[in-house]
Amino acid sequence: MSRTACRILSARFGRKDGHLLRVYESEGGYRALRRALAEMSPDQVREAVKDSGLRGRGGAGFPTGVKWGFVPQGGGPVYFFVNADESEPGTFKDRYLLDYDPHLMIEGAVISSYAVRSGLCFVYIRGEFGWLVDRVQRAVDEAYAAGYLGPNILGSGYALEMIVHKGAGAYICGEETGLINSVEGTKGQPSIKPPFPAVSGFLGKPTIVNNVETVASVPYIINEGAAAYRAFGTEKSAGTKLWSVSGPVQRPGVYEIPLGLPFREFFHEDLGGMRDGEELKAVIVGGSSVPVLTAAEAMAVNLDYESLAQAGTMLGSGGMIIIPGSADMVELIQVLMHFYWDESCGQCTPCREGTGWLHRIVKRLRKGQGVPEDLALLEKVTQGMAGLTICPLADAAVMPMQSFLQKFRPEFEALIHETAAPRPRSRWSRGERES
Amino acid sequence: MARLTIDGQEIEVPDGTRLFDACTQVRGEPLPHFCYHPDLSIAGVCRLCQVEIEGLPKLTIACNTTVKDGMVVRTRSPRVQEAAQRILEMHLINHPVDCPICDQAGECALQDQYMNYGLYSAEVEKADKVHKSKAKVIGPHVILDQERCVLCSRCVRFCAEITGTGELGIFQRGDRAEIDVAPGGELANNYSLNTVDICPVGALTSRDFRFQKRVWLLRSTPSICPGCATGCNVRLDHEAGRVYRLKPRRNDEVNGPWMCDLGRYIYKCVHDEKRLASPLVRQEGELRPATWREAAAHLGGLLAPGRLSLALACAHQTLEELVLFRRLAGLLAGSDRVAGTVAGVDLRQGDALLLDADRAPNRRALEWLGLPEARPDELAARLGAGGPALVYGQDPAAADAALAEALGASGGLVYLGTHLNATARLAAVVLPLSTWAEKDGLFVNRQGRIQPFQRAVARPQDAREDWRVLADLLAAARAGEQPSGLAALRRQVAAELGLPGEIDLNDLPAAGLVPDLAAGTPAGGES
Repeated sequence: MSRTACRILSARFGRKDGHLLRVYESEGGYRALRRALAEMSPDQVREAVKDSGLRGRGGAGFPTGVKWGFVPQGGGPVYFFVNADESEPGTFKDRYLLDYDPHLMIEGAVISSYAVRSGLCFVYIRGEFGWLVDRVQRAVDEAYAAGYLGPNILGSGYALEMIVHKGAGAYICGEETGLINSVEGTKGQPSIKPPFPAVSGFLGKPTIVNNVETVASVPYIINEGAAAYRAFGTEKSAGTKLWSVSGPVQRPGVYEIPLGLPFREFFHEDLGGMRDGEELKAVIVGGSSVPVLTAAEAMAVNLDYESLAQAGTMLGSGGMIIIPGSADMVELIQVLMHFYWDESCGQCTPCREGTGWLHRIVKRLRKGQGVPEDLALLEKVTQGMAGLTICPLADAAVMPMQSFLQKFRPEFEALIHETAAPRPRSRWSRGERES
Repeated sequence: MARLTIDGQEIEVPDGTRLFDACTQVRGEPLPHFCYHPDLSIAGVCRLCQVEIEGLPKLTIACNTTVKDGMVVRTRSPRVQEAAQRILEMHLINHPVDCPICDQAGECALQDQYMNYGLYSAEVEKADKVHKSKAKVIGPHVILDQERCVLCSRCVRFCAEITGTGELGIFQRGDRAEIDVAPGGELANNYSLNTVDICPVGALTSRDFRFQKRVWLLRSTPSICPGCATGCNVRLDHEAGRVYRLKPRRNDEVNGPWMCDLGRYIYKCVHDEKRLASPLVRQEGELRPATWREAAAHLGGLLAPGRLSLALACAHQTLEELVLFRRLAGLLAGSDRVAGTVAGVDLRQGDALLLDADRAPNRRALEWLGLPEARPDELAARLGAGGPALVYGQDPAAADAALAEALGASGGLVYLGTHLNATARLAAVVLPLSTWAEKDGLFVNRQGRIQPFQRAVARPQDAREDWRVLADLLAAARAGEQPSGLAALRRQVAAELGLPGEIDLNDLPAAGLVPDLAAGTPAGGES
């Protein structure tokens, strides 16, 4: 597949007028919606998406059609949410997509809502994206005026209302149950599962939450068919993926590439390699929450779900952070640990206490107050967090922490003065405790 | 039914059982936990009750898991124990560990779990801990220490789900998160002290009990709250003759695990400075302390058969006492001059949860015994007929001015009670009796449930047990042989009420007993 053909999501990227309805329509926009409503039942739409192999692009990578299939067939209200609370450090692909092509998201959201028989769709936009809320709202208004939204869409009898909802600035509201709670007006924090939102979500009714990029992939699948979508990517990682790339490369930015592309090729051909005479030291491939790869590891992977999992990391959100040789890894991890400490909702004890503890230890190291036991302590704290909480935020802090420590240990060790006296320990230690 | 294996042991439990509860059955003790509470929704936030379920890659919390047929669960594997220890450590890293000055010490889940599952050495120094506000008064009864809080959210869920008042919330996020009331709000519902009970740590403590007594010195006696007709099951915590607090005792037929704040303070009457510690006899117009022998001498002229213009009881005495009172009153006054209580005297505002509008604990017993209510004016009219009067318990003189005047003008008032109140001050003879904390007895609650309570503390000085005083008065009035002990008295009570033969009032079931009284009101046999 030629690389230039890979414009499923990015056709209007960088264009000043890409966000306008007339431009979108003139380039075949809303053709898929017309087709889905006129020729396909909701179940047929769902089957097409299932057959396409599309997986959730928000980070977890769960098959989209399968998720839709979890909605009980009862005839009661179903809600559809587009998750545009893009807050993962290093990730800015949804922002880009909404900025340049909001109608692609809207068309995908209407088709997806139709597939799960929803009559109400929320677009939850990260509050810090203030200008984007206005842009999306204008596009929604245009879509209403053109009959792509409202009580009788394109005369099909299908009715859908779309509400653009602005978040209040919490990373955790990107987690789907946190997002639902936020819209319900309660504290933005994840709910305990089960029940899963597909069964009991918004207002206790079946609710599907999909990422912006996920729903934006749907019109192509309807227009061209599942097989055409599968022609991109690999057997298990079908289609294309947006990557937002930051760091000292020649050409940082948002790229759409077919899944399975070798990192080496992407790095040299698309990104143009490093700039400012820097060397590649490490890569965070999928947003700050995934384990870091060394330069050597990165050069050996392909950018798809399976290869990255095999390399011990994750595709995540596609927020790629290129780390140069001059970077101080402990400083970087301090920034990340500050982020997770700040953003932990505080509900589950291991995350609430663990994120703060990790942050304090790393801060201490960087102040030159580290002691030799601190590295083992960091390791131990992560063990008390990983896999033990309601949502994956604790894991999201643990994965970079553990991988930085494991792969760049000498940088941590250099901050510890071997001669420093250990901090006084509690006399109430296990061995000395009187029985 | 679901058949599952927990720690190698097969168990069969009803479908829908919480795995947490099934584990408790097998283990004989619950899994470590802070946030789980059987009467509240599942929060799943303390993360302590992790178990290993075969076939699942990750550990799972038992409180949010429903049993499935064929489940194989491990609660004591090294992996589970390691996780419990790590998570417990998380609960403690920012905790002030100020047990020596914490009221919860000795009944603290954090201490207990540490001894059971922790026992590691501390890794965090005091200076590194997150600090929050301490000793924050959040309501009339409750005080909050945010540093001790483990954010289990039980108190928040209690106010949201049980009282529906929603005063408490968790503010801020991450390790800055803290329980608090909304600005300008306070935790002032009538059930606020239940939050202290369900708080697993020393974050919420009772302003009344705070710094009064180390809990391990307290002894507990099962009792019934005498504060209203609900009859909440409680325990009295006491030491060296002093009651320090009331705590609810679970009875799912009556009060679940809760009780109201009004009930919590009722013990104060036991140690009130107005408590009667000896008989009083009016001499030269003034009440003076006397011995029981002296008092008996004065009673002789007043309590002669048929002489009383009025014999008035109240709905605060026990079932056994009221049976004896009915005998005594029938003998001394004649049935038309006997009243069970003053109408309306115990009526206040109730609520839909536990607090009954009827603030007397034993009105149903009066009904069962056919002791009628009478209005103050009716009572005053009977007193106007002349002759001495006998008042047992409560303070009718405080209830109505005209009644007080009539009591004062009677030809000699005998008051049996516990406090030097308005009625006692009008009396010719006062006999000191026992509060409910100082005696055994039976109350019949609004459901018609007979519930026993036990003596917790000693009576003051010369005060006596009510039923013995009543039995002595009956004996003095030559009413024949009286019961030799409370057990014998209860057998007589059962017979007089016409209870089915298999009911033993000396050995009631834990939840109390609602007798099947086909006639609605048990037959009242005269002695």
